[in-house]
Amino acid sequence: MGDIAFNLLIFFVILARANDDSFLQWEPAAVKTVKPAGESRASVVIDSKNRLFLNGQETHLGDLADGIREALGNAPPGKRTVLLKVHNETQAVRFEPVIEAISEAGGDMVHILEKERM
Amino acid sequence: MKPRRATKLMAELPSSATGDIAFNLIVFFLVCASVQPDKGHRQTLPRSETQNEQTPKIENIEVTLTRTAAMIDGEVVEPRKFVPKLTALLVGKVRPGDRVVVVKSKPEVPYHHWIKYTTLIDEAGGVITVLREEEEEVRVP
Repeated sequence: MGDIAFNLLIFFVILARANDDSFLQWEPAAVKTVKPAGESRASVVIDSKNRLFLNGQETHLGDLADGIREALGNAPPGKRTVLLKVHNETQAVRFEPVIEAISEAGGDMVHILEKERM
Repeated sequence: MKPRRATKLMAELPSSATGDIAFNLIVFFLVCASVQPDKGHRQTLPRSETQNEQTPKIENIEVTLTRTAAMIDGEVVEPRKFVPKLTALLVGKVRPGDRVVVVKSKPEVPYHHWIKYTTLIDEAGGVITVLREEEEEVRVP
């Protein structure tokens, strides 16, 4: 009985916390300091093959702002966090329009990065 | 009278639950290893707007990024001198509008280079604004 309860607990923890985009391949850029990103409403990924994803679904740049607006809904300021996961070698010509789309949709952007190794 | 012999009990530990325990331990450590909270850097950018060529420009600090270098107002600055130089330029500017730092990047600038310098701008107290040249598609009949 205890085993079953434990497994169910783990199952729901995974469902609640695991990101839909965990299957995507990208390498984060490294900076000196990072802080916990907190709860987010949407996650945007540019993977190592330069493909664009919103909440795990491949999308086009033209549809991104509307998709983020839909995901954020009427969330109040401070609860409109959008995670931005960009592969570290992605070029500005690709990621700057994405940043612009998040800004246009009114998202609070958090760049997902890793801490520099000494 | 014969002395009573001590009986030795050969009790085995029940091993039927060992597999369950091992499985639960594996799942537990997998969850701990894979569900790590995301960490990063929060960045607030002003909402984007299209700037007209005729609109008079306010004098803001301009940071230009190339693939390997960074320039402040057209002058190449070493990474270790970047924050002190920018901080000196922002001295006396109190209003957020005055602390705007316009970031212009060449198309080939990699993300790790861009995030390094925009993080330094944040550190120096600048308000980042990304300036991007609009690409207009012209159809030839």
